[in-house]
Amino acid sequence: MDVNASTTKPAPGLKRPNMLYSIAIVLIVILGSVWALSIDNRFLYLLVYVWFGVIYGIFLQYGRFCMAAAVRDLFAVRVPRMAVGMMIAVGLYALVASVVTLAGFNTFHAHPLGWHVLIGGLIFGFGFVFTGGCASGSLYKAGEGNMNSMLVILAISFTQAIVVAESGWLNWMAPEAWVASAAAKDMPESLSVTEGWFDLFTAGYFWDMKGATLGEMLGAAESPWAMAFWNTFVNALLPVIVLLIALYAYYYRKSYLRKSGLANPSLKDEISGIWHMCISSKNTAIAGIFLGIFAGLHMWVTGVLREHYEIFNFGELLSAMGYTQGLSVQDTVFDPGYWYITTQEAQWGAWVLEKLGIDMMDNIFFGLDNGIPNPLLNAPGFMSIGIILGAAILANARREFKWKMPSLETATFAIVGGILMGIGARLAMGCNIGAFFATVTNGDPSGWIFLLGMVGGGYLGVKVFTKWMDWKMARDGGCDL
Amino acid sequence: MGLVHQSTPNPMKWLSNLIWRRPANEPLLSREEDLPGYGRVRVSYVVDCLGAMCPRPQLLTMKILAEITEGEIIEVVSDNPAAVEAFPSLAETLLCRHLLTLREQDCWRLYLRKGLQA
Repeated sequence: MDVNASTTKPAPGLKRPNMLYSIAIVLIVILGSVWALSIDNRFLYLLVYVWFGVIYGIFLQYGRFCMAAAVRDLFAVRVPRMAVGMMIAVGLYALVASVVTLAGFNTFHAHPLGWHVLIGGLIFGFGFVFTGGCASGSLYKAGEGNMNSMLVILAISFTQAIVVAESGWLNWMAPEAWVASAAAKDMPESLSVTEGWFDLFTAGYFWDMKGATLGEMLGAAESPWAMAFWNTFVNALLPVIVLLIALYAYYYRKSYLRKSGLANPSLKDEISGIWHMCISSKNTAIAGIFLGIFAGLHMWVTGVLREHYEIFNFGELLSAMGYTQGLSVQDTVFDPGYWYITTQEAQWGAWVLEKLGIDMMDNIFFGLDNGIPNPLLNAPGFMSIGIILGAAILANARREFKWKMPSLETATFAIVGGILMGIGARLAMGCNIGAFFATVTNGDPSGWIFLLGMVGGGYLGVKVFTKWMDWKMARDGGCDL
Repeated sequence: MGLVHQSTPNPMKWLSNLIWRRPANEPLLSREEDLPGYGRVRVSYVVDCLGAMCPRPQLLTMKILAEITEGEIIEVVSDNPAAVEAFPSLAETLLCRHLLTLREQDCWRLYLRKGLQA
């Protein structure tokens, strides 16, 4: 069966790709980089985020790599293509992350595991069925000219900013124990940690838990090789192998055996079937491999730069360069040191709201931890812009860039889905990248719980979405696309 | 080729799409088509997914495939790169044969045949 892009043929009289646009975007990135370095060569730290963002964008677009599709397609159409690609990426990222950890440059911090991860994943997974893309998928699709995805990014950005800074009206939902625990934390007055649901959630609940990798939980922290075994092999590679076998058994085996005419398959046939499943979409598999490798290398490069500049956080570098506006009370900004999406989008939303006169720094999320830097100085923010630019470079080169405006229905879905994704991402303290991809690959089991939530949410989302489509088709005799 | 959309590009189409429902294209267009590598074949159905986000193109195609008989060929028109990438795998799952993806200026045309016969 023809299953890859080699079956794609150009129709006669097709125009050449828009290489000029691609070259122009590459030039903008290069000139922007040179300009930044000419102002201060310490902007190299920020530019690393930009360049890795561009690389992520190129490979996300190359493989049409979307983690929403990985979950959704299993239930909507029973196709494991993207789930397989995601597992390949997880495996490779875990291997590179292991080397980076052994070399002593890992920038990862484990997330506390609690109900919030599962619930956050559930809401996030429900939302992304309606937006047509996950957090990273929406960025690369925006780079293809999809305005629907741009709406999703806006919805995610503003929702998160409002959830973390303007959730005082939800105080009634916070248990007394959270209020007492938050008050006991002795935080600066300016943060008003006992006001605002998200502050109470953070100081009264989240901070009372400790995040740990699997190796740390099992007391293996003293031995790097034991840590690699538990964190890389047991927490990442083993689940990847198990999930690939499960995907094969439930979604691929039947059609593969029927297509191959194998009535009594041997173990060799089954392994061959799993291999066929992995390479059934070469673009996705290749994207998975390179995304995994580059995501690991990103941590390495940032880790090396932190050592070089003798810093823990980009905020220190910004202060040293004389940029003190928008830093948190600890002089920090959001600077994960690895691939992340949603927190920097929250900062964008908060920056706009603050310009409109709303105080967005009177909370833990921005005021104590992440700050609200000017978008021109927001290093992870530039990683997200880099993803959009990288996707635009390849989409133009492949003649796949097209301005697409949403219909009223898809725009509504984008905004509602984006709002849900924003709420889910904040509850779980991350999205499909920050709370899943970057965690499971670094030995943090909380990412698997987030995936479980996403799968549950995706399942429910698909149920509602197909009901909506059926209702709409029955009413209109067609579907308003 | 090009039976689905022959109108000239309209820069304000997005606005009219937003306000009025896009006119549904007649899906039942039983017609002959010259497919590279396959010669003249009869296309029984056109699934017009222009402008659709995932998973609509896949779900619409599944619905149409469920209604046609073995051996019939359908054409899927899509301008969504992610959906186009997903169709060969979808065809495998649905025990269909993905014959060809034809690249046009603004979209792709995918040809799927129901059933696994050569």
